[in-house]
Amino acid sequence: MTAITTVSPPPASSSIAIPPHPIVRNEVGLDPVVSPGPALLAGIGDGPSLEAHRGRVGKSPWPSAEQLIKMCEAVDLRGRGGAGFPAAIKMATAHRRKAVVVVNASEGEPASRKDAALMALAPHVVLDGAAAVAHALKTREVHIVVPSELPSIGFGLEKALDERLDAGERIKWQIHDAAPRFVAGEGSAVLELLAGRDNLPVTTWQPGAVSGYKKRPTFLSNAETFAHLGHLARLGPNGYAAQGTPAEAGTTLLTLRGDGWDPVVREVAYGTPLSDILTADEMNQPLLLGGYHGTWLKPEQLAAMALSRIDIAAAGATLGAGVVLPLAHGWCPLVRTEALVDYLAGQSARRCGPCMNGLPNLAEALRDLVHRGGPVGPVEELCGLVTQRGACSHPDGTARLVTSMLSRFPEEVDLHSLGECRGGQDEVAP
Amino acid sequence: MSHTLRVDWPNCKAHGLCAEILPEVISLDRWGFPIVHEAVGYDLLDLAKGAVKACPTLALRLVQKPSRH
Repeated sequence: MTAITTVSPPPASSSIAIPPHPIVRNEVGLDPVVSPGPALLAGIGDGPSLEAHRGRVGKSPWPSAEQLIKMCEAVDLRGRGGAGFPAAIKMATAHRRKAVVVVNASEGEPASRKDAALMALAPHVVLDGAAAVAHALKTREVHIVVPSELPSIGFGLEKALDERLDAGERIKWQIHDAAPRFVAGEGSAVLELLAGRDNLPVTTWQPGAVSGYKKRPTFLSNAETFAHLGHLARLGPNGYAAQGTPAEAGTTLLTLRGDGWDPVVREVAYGTPLSDILTADEMNQPLLLGGYHGTWLKPEQLAAMALSRIDIAAAGATLGAGVVLPLAHGWCPLVRTEALVDYLAGQSARRCGPCMNGLPNLAEALRDLVHRGGPVGPVEELCGLVTQRGACSHPDGTARLVTSMLSRFPEEVDLHSLGECRGGQDEVAP
Repeated sequence: MSHTLRVDWPNCKAHGLCAEILPEVISLDRWGFPIVHEAVGYDLLDLAKGAVKACPTLALRLVQKPSRH
């Protein structure tokens, strides 16, 4: 399936003529509509060329590792792949001899499109960040992992790298194709791919920043993280903090309704009220925040919530990789969860015993609960059996999704055990 | 410094020898894969080392501090 990603004009502003930019997607789902944003996505209206990028932002400065680490600390920059690890700590750890840089743009989750949008529409924003990190860590070796199911990302990247080569940049870029599956984007799976083995998670005994690619200190981070690093290196902490709140500087990329009929990728400043990005109808619906490994939130939790790590953590959830999935009107959150767990069970790499056995059993127990009025006990027990018992966090994330469903919608769970379903209607605020 | 046993999950093939040697710390789930219940106390350290050595797929390691991975 080939489709076109449209770039919509900025919400509040006038008439900027923005040419549509193609992203080819041959997997499930539709291409997102991407709007220009306040920082990383500010220049997407000018096209993805290096010339347009340099014309807008000028030459990128190359701070030393010490300077860049200080900047990361000043704005508390976190990784944007889901785990939210502090970039300063990762960089300080990887700042040793023979370091290597890995940009992970493989984005295995079907509901996340922000890295694909970033790579397609603003590749040089990411590459500037990768170049800055490579320079700070005194390496010329940068690996970029792209999703193989979106060939246009790889082609666009090759073109962007050619432009940089012609401009005289002396970095050894290498492109790798990630396998089209959920767990292929996990950090250890990416290092396996680079090592020439199967693109699947393995047990790691040390963090990648200590011993990663060929046992070298490896700064592996998500594509969006590098875009922020480049932006930060250029503007410094004060300029970077022009967006966001005093407690949380900067912006974040979101994928809204990423697996639905009208997916949208947006860049918003931290502190933006949730009501600014969701429709009034969606604010009255349950929300799945953080993607398929994420956490359900009830409508009454959304009203005063801002897109802020602090606010979201206080509600017992995380923003993860910025996937925001409002429940479509009239849908039951239990039915939705059951379908997701069925998909996630199929995405197991089938290498770790508890995941290989536990997730299909969990999916079956949940199907029993949701569709046949089965008991809750086996579902809870299986969630416990798969947690913290695998090479990657795929079983943990799946159990987290199910556990949050059980804790947020106990009335619905009771109804289903009686063989009834109100299609989420009781979740709608009066 | 306490020790704990960590399983290399992709390599574990549910032989179950670890649970035979060290039932105080390891039990098996319904599929035969180990469940590590607690850190290894000093008195069990030798048995834990024995369990590590006995694993046919070398999928068990004694590490020095409890950790997620």
